[in-house]
Amino acid sequence: MATFELYRRSTIGMCLTETLDEMVSNGVLSPELAIQVLVQFDKSMTEALESQVKSKVSIKGHLHTYRFCDNVWTFILQGAIFKNEENQENVGRVKIVACDSKLLTQ
Amino acid sequence: MAGSTTTTSGVYVQVIEDVISKVRDEFVGNGGPGEGILHELQGLWEMKMMQAGAILGPIDRSSAMKPTPGGPITPVHDLNVPYEGPEEYETPTADLLFPPTPLQTPIQTPLPGMGQTPLPGTAQTPLPGTADSSLYNIPTGGTPITPNDYPAVHDSGGETKAGRPSQYMPPPSPWLNQRPPLDVNVAYVEGREEVDRGASHQPTTQDFFTMSSGKRKREDFAQYRAGGYIPQQDGAGDPIPDELKVELLLPPLSMFLYTSVWGHTSSSRPDEVGLQVAQGANAPHHTGPAHQTRVPSRIPQVDGPIPDPYDDALSTPNIYNYQGVVNEDYNVVNTPAPNDLQAATPGLIAQNDIVDDDDDEPLNENDDDDELDDVDQGEELNTQHLVLAQFDKVTRTKSRWKCTLKDGIMHINNKDILFNKATGEFDF
Repeated sequence: MATFELYRRSTIGMCLTETLDEMVSNGVLSPELAIQVLVQFDKSMTEALESQVKSKVSIKGHLHTYRFCDNVWTFILQGAIFKNEENQENVGRVKIVACDSKLLTQ
Repeated sequence: MAGSTTTTSGVYVQVIEDVISKVRDEFVGNGGPGEGILHELQGLWEMKMMQAGAILGPIDRSSAMKPTPGGPITPVHDLNVPYEGPEEYETPTADLLFPPTPLQTPIQTPLPGMGQTPLPGTAQTPLPGTADSSLYNIPTGGTPITPNDYPAVHDSGGETKAGRPSQYMPPPSPWLNQRPPLDVNVAYVEGREEVDRGASHQPTTQDFFTMSSGKRKREDFAQYRAGGYIPQQDGAGDPIPDELKVELLLPPLSMFLYTSVWGHTSSSRPDEVGLQVAQGANAPHHTGPAHQTRVPSRIPQVDGPIPDPYDDALSTPNIYNYQGVVNEDYNVVNTPAPNDLQAATPGLIAQNDIVDDDDDEPLNENDDDDELDDVDQGEELNTQHLVLAQFDKVTRTKSRWKCTLKDGIMHINNKDILFNKATGEFDF
């Protein structure tokens, strides 16, 4: 199963990465095993988002920068408004990084 | 917001448990570090998540502090108390996969250990007793739990059985929640680190990285090439030794800086670039033995526009030539394989170093770099808001962009929000 490493930059992914870094540098964990854990995280996070998350969000804003490189879109929005079912968040500047969903199904 | 935050926390807890349960075989099996290390991993991970505010701390902690395995259902139930209509969460598989007993060790162990020796400097001192306690002292230097938290932790575990935030437990200090800003340009940072690393034994790499003006000082090379080889200071350029090219391999994401600058004369093969450059090098004072052996048998093109593989290969939206169609769809996957790009990069950089291009300045040489720098600085100053997702479709009509995203994690205003689908409408 193909996975993205994208979600490693999320809070949960960063926490895991930091933990693994510490354990590897302490010598309690081999780097190979740490990589395996990260790969498993990629899978588990992707599955959880597919199966457990149902919410929808709409995003509006001024597109300050766009970039498409290696099948990854990057948008930097200014004055963005995020709306989901119950509430709204306003953000002065936000970065959106999106991988091609088709790559997962190939 | 409570609803979505709770859901995020619930999903995170399930992801953690899913990961832990699925790597258990690797830890416990042949030659693995063992179950204890796996518990430590989970404990540290969850602790960091609580400190980041991404997992509702009291919930997990109360379940983790349960002293007896008598209530495998209770902690699971606790996790779902705040949910509304939580049918799908009522009987999570985590209950079966991950009984509460393993949770005890990782959480309980680090707390006293850190309380005694909270200083990160004591990391290397193994404590008598279990190896575990010393392990926990090392990594938590950045955000250790302050000793003040310990009574509260035990109170919440002992006195409040429900998973709701305990009133006896003070909320985490604000600085605990202040994670260092996520660097969204991780790729660039890593690239720099790579370069730095390479520079430690091959400083020339560093030189290339900062060499955008085409001017350099003689001393720069003198220190690199103490072996008697005098680098070229002018003219069209020298071929560079093979080992140099190897050093020039940069991470793929940092290379587009170079491709944007040097793309107009780029060649897809490093060798070709080197040969092409060598052909024009006639200044006698800098031709060394290495160059003689590398004289090309094939005469490359030295004038006129060289077809740029990047123009064709990169499917970056061709906005600037855009005139005809009203709508464009950017979802065609025709970006070349990263390997191709990576192979081409060293040659391009080599040319960067060697060619004295004062009268051959590429167009827009420094345009995007400045822009990126600005963005970086802005993001470092502000709280980092980040959306990580997959895109289904990205389209543009004039200056109006529309995109549909799915399976995303948003970190906005210090909250994590997950979404299944998202639609974006942006004005450029």
